[in-house]
Amino acid sequence: MTTSPLFRSALAVLVAAALAPALAAAQDGGGGRRERTVPSIASGDWTGPRLADGQPDVQGFWSNTIGNHGNWTDPQGGIPGDPARPNGPSGPREARAPSRVSDPADGQVPFQPWARAKQQEFLAHFHNPTEPEYIEPLARCAPGGVPKSLLWHGYEIRQYPGYVLFLFDSGTRIVHLGGKPHLPATIKLWNADSRGRWEGNTLVVDVANNNGKARFARTGEFASEHVHIVERYVFDSSGERYNYVATLTDPGVYTRPWTATIPARRYTERDEPDGWNFEVTLASRDGGAPLAEHAERICVENNGGFGNVAMTAAGAQPAR
Amino acid sequence: MHRTATVLLASLLAASALAAGADDPKIPRLAGGKPDFSGIWQTTSAADYDLEPHAARKDAPPGRGIVAGDAIPYLPAALERRRRNFDARLAADPRLKCWTLGTPRGIYYPEPFQALQRDRDLTLVFQFGNSVRTIHTDGTRHPAPGDSELWLGDSRGHWEDDTLVVDVTDFNDETWLDRAGNFHGPKLHVVERWTLIDANTIEYTATLEDPDVYSRPWILGVILHRHREKDFQLIEDYCYTLDYDDYYPVPKEPRP
Repeated sequence: MTTSPLFRSALAVLVAAALAPALAAAQDGGGGRRERTVPSIASGDWTGPRLADGQPDVQGFWSNTIGNHGNWTDPQGGIPGDPARPNGPSGPREARAPSRVSDPADGQVPFQPWARAKQQEFLAHFHNPTEPEYIEPLARCAPGGVPKSLLWHGYEIRQYPGYVLFLFDSGTRIVHLGGKPHLPATIKLWNADSRGRWEGNTLVVDVANNNGKARFARTGEFASEHVHIVERYVFDSSGERYNYVATLTDPGVYTRPWTATIPARRYTERDEPDGWNFEVTLASRDGGAPLAEHAERICVENNGGFGNVAMTAAGAQPAR
Repeated sequence: MHRTATVLLASLLAASALAAGADDPKIPRLAGGKPDFSGIWQTTSAADYDLEPHAARKDAPPGRGIVAGDAIPYLPAALERRRRNFDARLAADPRLKCWTLGTPRGIYYPEPFQALQRDRDLTLVFQFGNSVRTIHTDGTRHPAPGDSELWLGDSRGHWEDDTLVVDVTDFNDETWLDRAGNFHGPKLHVVERWTLIDANTIEYTATLEDPDVYSRPWILGVILHRHREKDFQLIEDYCYTLDYDDYYPVPKEPRP
């Protein structure tokens, strides 16, 4: 029987849906590439290599170090209500990586009561989505958005005079350096609109025009289309690590501005590609070792959910 | 034959600039001296409506066509399939599902794309679908045959004087070449030539061969213009999300 791409993809969605809780549990439980602590990286001078235009050279492959998108505030705790883990995570909370909410100190998003109820409503329906709005947009191939893209699969950063480009597993983000104004406020986008500048070792990005439709994690945390995000990508001059530190201000949703922290590390050809943190293909060349490449990403084309690497049988990886 | 096609193409493009580009000192260059294609580009042609010459019709403005020799040299069975595609075009064009446009269609689709260039590669970000194509210019080779089946193909480029020559392989058969149902198969092999003919204009040609679909290689060509509007930028167009956009009302504070 010949299977059409559409049929294959419908099947893939079903399989992915069936496997998702188990996979998420395995990943969020802390695999070989899950760390339990967040390193401290201070803002300050950049003493590492620079590009010709003066930018710190942070090009290459990166991935978050503490967990997947299952749970925003307990990154290794799995998704509450997961039928595959009816008893929730084992062990004390302190044994797992800290909340991505680094301020307030309690690790919780300071939602206003109505917004907390909305987040809880999404989470309560996540494993049994009875309405379309309870299906996470990412599973329909929508971009992960800001800040979720930073804690989803590994990604590549490329730099150019005037730009920092993020090639995510699901979505592409162009950060404009320099003084260009934001797009008119009536334009709302999944990946928002980004204006950046370098301060020493820190890329500071002002983020506006967010469409407010992406969820930060499967636990349902969110911002509205009025959110203003200031991101600080604080790079260690060794070039091995950076911390993403973002302040989110949205007076209609939160009781006060709060801060998210997502640690990340670099991956290079010395690392083994793993289909998740370091999801690359290796290109051969004469007179040198193979080079890692960010392969073409497609998603809606085969409706497999999430950011599929566009490959067929030989190199296929299941989406998760 | 190839030479003939090139001559025909030159007349198509009406580009006296063909010869002028190579030595023009006013084109932008990278520090290493190679031409710098960085910028946001778009064709003004009606190519995406129909690559071949066509008078106005309900679904397309008229166009002179961008194919050297005017007609794509389809094999008989392929010509029949193109006819079926044409008849079904208002529903069957993959563009309507917001699928990745492919190569070379993304280049002459009527939405801008941004070129971002380093010595090692030329990255193309297409506004339509925000898809990303990387043309590697670092001496790396195509993957082994059979490994990949890509929407945009696998692109490896090299320089011939001031022209970037890109060899593109490893396609699937999911993409169309335009809205009129022109198509290719998985054996498609594209060779692109990118040349800056002045600071704000790229001459782009592509030779397409596919032994299962065409009787011989053929060439298309367009001129790409730089967007120079103040503060012009790409605006992400994840158009497939529009189908379910309304399922995701932004949570709103309930009004008393």
